[in-house]
Amino acid sequence: MVELRGVRHRYDGRLVLDLDHFAVPAGAMVAVVGHNGAGKSTLLRLLSLLEVPTEGAVLWDGVPVPRRAPTALRRRVTLVEQRPVLLRGSVRDNLGFGLRLRGLERTVVKRAVETVAEQFGLTALLERRRHELSDGDVQRVAVARALAVRPDVLLLDEPTSSADRAASGALYRALADQQATQTERPIAICIASHQLEDAYRWADDIRALAEGRLSPVTPENLFRVELPAGTGETKHARVGTIDIAVTTDRTGPVVLAVPPTDIFVSREPLSSSARNVLAGRVTRIAAHRAGGGSGVAVTADVGVELVAVVTAEAARELALAPDVAVVFSFKASAVRVF
Amino acid sequence: MDFLAEGFRRALALLLSGDAEVFGIALLTLKIAVIATIVACGIGLPLGYFLATRRFWGRRAALTAVNTALAFPTVVVGLLLYGLLSRRGPLGGLGWLYTWQAIVVGDVVLALPIAAALSAAAVQGVDPRVRRTAETLGAGRWLTAWTVAREARFALAAVITAAFGQVVAEIGAAMMLGGNIRGSTRTLTTAVALYSSQGDFGLAVALGLLLIVIALAVNVTLQVLQGKGSG
Repeated sequence: MVELRGVRHRYDGRLVLDLDHFAVPAGAMVAVVGHNGAGKSTLLRLLSLLEVPTEGAVLWDGVPVPRRAPTALRRRVTLVEQRPVLLRGSVRDNLGFGLRLRGLERTVVKRAVETVAEQFGLTALLERRRHELSDGDVQRVAVARALAVRPDVLLLDEPTSSADRAASGALYRALADQQATQTERPIAICIASHQLEDAYRWADDIRALAEGRLSPVTPENLFRVELPAGTGETKHARVGTIDIAVTTDRTGPVVLAVPPTDIFVSREPLSSSARNVLAGRVTRIAAHRAGGGSGVAVTADVGVELVAVVTAEAARELALAPDVAVVFSFKASAVRVF
Repeated sequence: MDFLAEGFRRALALLLSGDAEVFGIALLTLKIAVIATIVACGIGLPLGYFLATRRFWGRRAALTAVNTALAFPTVVVGLLLYGLLSRRGPLGGLGWLYTWQAIVVGDVVLALPIAAALSAAAVQGVDPRVRRTAETLGAGRWLTAWTVAREARFALAAVITAAFGQVVAEIGAAMMLGGNIRGSTRTLTTAVALYSSQGDFGLAVALGLLLIVIALAVNVTLQVLQGKGSG
């Protein structure tokens, strides 16, 4: 559907995004996770065709998009910003904004607005104006407004940052329902979020951004550290109260990434070659849908929070549950350095 | 102080009697001011939007030029345009010197920087997310500009009021380009200057009051329109 190729994007000469390839396929729900400043919002702005990459190309159905994207193409993708704004007028006016400027008849607009309002629980708010709404309501209206125009690609930047758990779940359910019902023209949804639980629960593909680059791991396993000088093969980086052994030539400030699938989870310490053996307790267990698999994401406090991904079978056998004592083991060479 | 009181009494009598000459001057002033405001804002508001939203080489210089033009002395503008519109000037063929059209040209030149500079500031004051929201929902250039203008409507109404205020109260260019010809190019400001210099304070005060009434009426009308469009 929409993809970035060889994109290097700079603000005032500073490289903020460096992606060889990033694609959002039709019908997918992709979550992009990462720290603040990792480049998530920039990525979404490029995908939304509102901004042009400094280098590289944006492709739509495999065809490069010109610098000034045609309106017809821009109308196939909508972006909801992290702190969205409502335009002048009522919630009804906002929900119908995109439809009206597509020249649809009033009755069609009215019907579409009422349908999307019902889908997002906004029917009671239709006549309200922006100053009469909470931040969470504004966010829901903005998502509904973007979805009302039935785009091929919907981009959401932290769509639940002002929502409580129930509202957040309702929003994701509405999005999933939309994907399930819009079968003739499957909608692709790309969500930038730092709420990993939501990403694991709802997305079928999770990508992590770190320092503007795609990282193989989730941000919970990313650590900004200072590597000590030295010529040894294995270095030890201080992360919170623990040391992480890492095989690298690098020194100075770096980002360490511990791939969740490279962590062995056990109930007792293993006798193995792994240089990192960290004991702690499980804090969270969640289904892991990313990559189409049916794994389990195990979050444990081992001095810092680490996420490991295991198979459902392994999770069952180890009787993993919150507060259970576990040991996470991984090799120094498994740790990636950025 | 007696002459002032006498002037007010005379003014009231002239206004209540519906003096044809006084109302003729008022109507011409209103016509010139409305046309000049429409032309100046018709060019200045889009120019201000362009300066506020587009990034191009020389943008800063263009903004500085527009802001500097705000301080142009009206008599200097009048003098330059006099040179252009005079019989031997490059625009002499139009035959506009000492006509109301020449006053409109002078007023447009003076009001244009106000419309452009203040509308650029008004648009810059609009949350940039509004523009991005309109664009991402599928608005083209014009609809995006219209959406931004709706958000800045109060500030833009103030721009129009300021432009109107400039042209309706302008005297330097009106005197030089119009010539203050009775029944033809005499505006309220040039008439006030003439009658007060002739010692006819009653008529001068009457015309001055009319000028204030016109300015007040335009302001009230714009405020009512803003009120209707609020929300």
